Amino acid sequence: MSIRHGLLALLSKGPRYGYQLRVEFEASTGATWPLNIGQVYTTLSRMERDGLVAPGGTDDQGRAVYTITEAGREELGRWFSTPVDQAGRPRDELAIKLAMAVATGDVDVQAVILAQRMAAMRTLQDLTRAKRAASGGLAERLVLDSLIFKAEAEQRWLDHCEAVLREKHS
Amino acid sequence: MTVVKLRDVTRVHRDVHALKGVSLDISRGELVAVMGPSGSGKSTLLNVAGGLDRPTSGSVTIGDTDLAAVKDLAALRRREVGYVFQDLNLIPSLTAAENVMLPRELDGVRAGRARTEALEALTEVGVREVADRFPEELSGGQRQRVAIARALAGERGLLLADEPTGALDTATGDEIMRLLRDRCDAGAAVLLVTHEPRYAAWADRVVYLRDGEVADAAAVRLESAR
Repeated sequence: MSIRHGLLALLSKGPRYGYQLRVEFEASTGATWPLNIGQVYTTLSRMERDGLVAPGGTDDQGRAVYTITEAGREELGRWFSTPVDQAGRPRDELAIKLAMAVATGDVDVQAVILAQRMAAMRTLQDLTRAKRAASGGLAERLVLDSLIFKAEAEQRWLDHCEAVLREKHS
Repeated sequence: MTVVKLRDVTRVHRDVHALKGVSLDISRGELVAVMGPSGSGKSTLLNVAGGLDRPTSGSVTIGDTDLAAVKDLAALRRREVGYVFQDLNLIPSLTAAENVMLPRELDGVRAGRARTEALEALTEVGVREVADRFPEELSGGQRQRVAIARALAGERGLLLADEPTGALDTATGDEIMRLLRDRCDAGAAVLLVTHEPRYAAWADRVVYLRDGEVADAAAVRLESAR
């Protein structure tokens, strides 16, 4: 997850101070990835070192604001135009667990699937409630939708595993 | 208050046990989703719960009425139960409003009153403006809303929905689920059959059927779902 690029995207709309970036980041992602203020300042100072943002003086209340540099805009453009690398994600523990359950032979694979399915459904129910309650804008809704589609994909894959196992056993 | 109660319900079609001892309660304001692979008995469960089919053994109670004691199931269904099916069953030669009015008129409600109710129901589901159009003039999402309005008209306390989001895109499907959910929050009991997890997740409770049996009725309970 790229906090760096998220902050660059917010700064591309105009100069902002640290706390403001944190609030806007959480608002536009539906508070799905809470940021602490320390992360925001650490990221800003690294981006300043890398020439992506520059200090922009203080606002009328004396808060230090940051602006995006030309290099920062280029980096942001690159980020938006590059697909997210699937291989960069951590190994899928669930797939490994099911594979091992099948391979060892003395595990009730159906029970493993059912337990996972129930947990996944609870997650999906929570997300759906969050979506119903969401009063925020389109950005928040799309983030929740993203999580819903992912939880749904896991359920579909579990359906598939179950169907394949039944076929093998019948 | 329990709206529909199934006790040890079995249903045998020829030699096939479609349901093997299913017990299920649905209360006012509760949305229950039934999931399971094809052939697991989902639709049979829905038909038995709504009095479209009778169990081979076991009992089905709607409100205070044991269906085994009811001769005219059709009348009871029209009074108590609304249905939304995947293949909507809208009558092509009737307008949207007339489709919604039809079951109420069959039940002896006068046309004027039935039309008023129909327009209320169409307003509730957000398609008041298509009341006088025919089904073929409507989009898929609008047709589905009309079918839901038909199920809602007349304050029926039990709503049964079999894949109501059928061929709709996910955004429209979500809108349909929001309607069912709102109806539930207003006090109806809703039994939803779906194979799509994203729609089942709108439910308070999700029941998995496997070969005609409930795999885990209580396990996926969300106590404070609303």
